Amino acid sequence: MKIVNATGLACPHPVVLAKQAIEANEQVQVIVDNETALENVKRMGVKLGCDVDSQAKAGGIYEIMLTRKTGAAVPAVPVSCVASSPSAGPFVVVCPEDKMGRGNDELGAVLIRAFLHTLAEQAEKPDVMIFYNTGVKLTVQGSETLDDLKTLAAAGVEILVCGTCLNYFEVKDKLGAGVVSNMYDIVETLSRAGRLLSP
Amino acid sequence: MNGSPSHYVMLFKAVSYALKAESILKAGVLPHKLIPVPRQISSDCGICLRFEPQHRASIEALLSGKVAVEDIRPLIC
Repeated sequence: MKIVNATGLACPHPVVLAKQAIEANEQVQVIVDNETALENVKRMGVKLGCDVDSQAKAGGIYEIMLTRKTGAAVPAVPVSCVASSPSAGPFVVVCPEDKMGRGNDELGAVLIRAFLHTLAEQAEKPDVMIFYNTGVKLTVQGSETLDDLKTLAAAGVEILVCGTCLNYFEVKDKLGAGVVSNMYDIVETLSRAGRLLSP
Repeated sequence: MNGSPSHYVMLFKAVSYALKAESILKAGVLPHKLIPVPRQISSDCGICLRFEPQHRASIEALLSGKVAVEDIRPLIC
């Protein structure tokens, strides 16, 4: 077993060292001293198809055991590093349209449904979702995506829906998921977003 | 977990077939959901129709002769 001492190192170094070690060894123990490194090394281990086990030790130290599944080749996975420090802002998903992508509206309407379904099933959900312009049509009764948005809301995702837009399309009374919001909330949320994703 | 599927997915040769099937199922008020083809079935960026096992027979009957269905697969999760 190879031991990698990554204490005192900031991301992406622990992930890079752990990745190099597991590519050359069947089993690697990685020692880190912060939660961001812990989560990122664990995530990389899972992506590489390793068995991942971690233990918190005294003094803010974490030991992560990565074990390659017998005979399994290590897939190529890029080093990814996600900051999870409390200072990072929320993960925000913005839907400015009731479609995904431009070019063909029928296809775009299918893609946004597939996108929201997949987002609702994914383990890492956004903190906030913002809907404006025709995007608000996704949140009203009769929308094909309403069940997925309700699932997201039930999982704790804050759903902000542009009130001006609901009003413009005359569907304010049909809002089925989320809360009626305004430009102040929208600008404030977009401004402090740690990650911003728009389909 | 007894291994029995919670849902089935119906696969089509093309997106347009899936959309046609969906409009027929909607008109027939048969519960279904349009979803991306699950990763374990195909890595293509495709869409399929998901439905619960109890609706399989009526869905197949309604689509029969109207839309070509590529395959129906159980979803075990």
